Amino acid sequence: MAAAPETIARVAAPPHQGLWSKAFHKFCRDRAGLVGLWVVVLYAIVALGVWLGLWASDWAEVTGPKWGPVSAEHWFGTNLIGQDIFARALYSTRTAFELGLVVAVLSTFVGAVLGAFAGFFSGGWIDELVLWFMGVIDSIPFYLLVAAIAFSLGDSPYAMYIAMIATFWVGTSRLVRGEVIKLKELEFVEAAHAIGLSEVAIIFRHILPNTFHILLVQATITFVAAIKSEVILSFLGIGIQDGMSWGLMIAESTIEVLAGFFNNFIAASLLMFGLVMAFNMFSDALQDALDPRSVR
Amino acid sequence: MELLQYTLRKLIAGIPLIFGVTFISFLLMVYFGPDKTYDLLGKNPTEQQIAEIRSELGYDQPFVARYFNYVTELATLNFGRSESTGEKVSDLLARTIPVSLALVTPGFVLGNLFGVLLALFAASRRGSWVDKTIMGCSAVGMSISFLIAIIAFQLVFSSSYGLGWFPVRGWNIHSPLDYLRYVTVPTLATVFVALGYNTRFYRAVIVEELSRDHVRTAKAFGVSPAKILSVHVLKNCAIPIITRVVFSIPFIVISGSLLLETYFGIPGVGKVAFDAITTGNQPVLKAVVGLTAVLFVLAQILTDILYRVADPRVSLN
Repeated sequence: MAAAPETIARVAAPPHQGLWSKAFHKFCRDRAGLVGLWVVVLYAIVALGVWLGLWASDWAEVTGPKWGPVSAEHWFGTNLIGQDIFARALYSTRTAFELGLVVAVLSTFVGAVLGAFAGFFSGGWIDELVLWFMGVIDSIPFYLLVAAIAFSLGDSPYAMYIAMIATFWVGTSRLVRGEVIKLKELEFVEAAHAIGLSEVAIIFRHILPNTFHILLVQATITFVAAIKSEVILSFLGIGIQDGMSWGLMIAESTIEVLAGFFNNFIAASLLMFGLVMAFNMFSDALQDALDPRSVR
Repeated sequence: MELLQYTLRKLIAGIPLIFGVTFISFLLMVYFGPDKTYDLLGKNPTEQQIAEIRSELGYDQPFVARYFNYVTELATLNFGRSESTGEKVSDLLARTIPVSLALVTPGFVLGNLFGVLLALFAASRRGSWVDKTIMGCSAVGMSISFLIAIIAFQLVFSSSYGLGWFPVRGWNIHSPLDYLRYVTVPTLATVFVALGYNTRFYRAVIVEELSRDHVRTAKAFGVSPAKILSVHVLKNCAIPIITRVVFSIPFIVISGSLLLETYFGIPGVGKVAFDAITTGNQPVLKAVVGLTAVLFVLAQILTDILYRVADPRVSLN
């Protein structure tokens, strides 16, 4: 009879399994999510290599003929002025990661802090102000907001970054606000009040860490949104100003495709599609794993 | 009467939002916008000439007065003349907005319609290979940039390298048949891009509704699956669907007309906005940005009122 409780213990889930370890186990069983993660890691290694100068450092140099064909030397051929398309596409990976990381980290941070304050003081003037600001940002169409910011900054290379951060924090902020309104009614917040912690300390030390699962998912969503928006903004001429990006390559290729030269278009589109698709798969799996409601 | 009160209250509640969007667009494009003084002056201007131009541009007025002028311009639709062509901005907009509406409306409507249909189809066969295929395609569609879709569809359907069925670019319309010829490829690209996001969103909404008790009850009473979907599910999903449609207007209509018109060379308001962005044409830019933001706020208020009409449970407070 002694064996019975042991068997039950082995079959049932281990006791005190937290959100994160449960999420980790669940994520490890999600095949699409794992594939997505590995592809993203691969892209990150490519970007890191570019950053360290290991490859694609000659992306701006003319190394071949105009519109050279695909060859062992030029894996994707050469562009209008004879630059190696493969090197340019690799270099663009670095641009994409720089943009994605900066925008994702900063807009998630802004969204978390403003959302937490709005939620904690919900119904008060801080909440009203943040809600008003979110409504205003949501009402100005994104591409026009970027154009307006670029206009006021006089074509600064930071216009796109500022506009993306100014727009993307709103989604995160709304979710964090909703979560904080629920969290602040719980006992641990009451306990923190009781031992005399200041409200700011409660928000930063006790409430924000408990929204981290939302922030992580939102950061991955923002990363993808930044990369996708860059392509369109660069095509419109208000995106990346110096350097090289998939958006600039596609903008360059709009002239070439009608002349029957597709390498630039295909290289940039495929690389971008791969990263965005992988990131979407990773993000979906993460969301599933971290959602306390979903049971599989 | 109650509805009228509700409408009035919503309109008053929208005032801070209208103030916000006009204030931000004023700050960005008028107050911190580039100084136009020296663009309008000849070489070696005298101090008096500079002062004259500055007062003509309103630069010498206090902040509040300049903001008030901007709001007056928006309210009276009097934005002055375009810096590049000298045409009145209001005339320019009146000429180009109908073109843009004609261009993006089919894609917008079809994208949402097919999105709901596919979502119903997938949700009603949840977990089956049909569902998985539809959701897989939607994930792929979400990962493809609008610009890439536009270029690819143009290549396949319009260029001499593809099928060559439709004109490559332009907007030269004299008959309904011309309209179809020019609008098809942009519409296909819009529907393709919109479907990925829409299907996913609508499926999530419908799946949630399908798991409700009233649907189970209807099933137990032997109501046919088609009737459950069309009557018991779709009607209850109306609110999230209407919200989605209204909130996607700025994305599909603005980014759609910006990209499609720039790429296909169509003389709509998106092309006008693009030209204004690239040349820094302030009167046009501030008209487009200010007007779309204000119109969008009004559209949101209208949605709230529509909710009230569609669902009497929505609280009047």
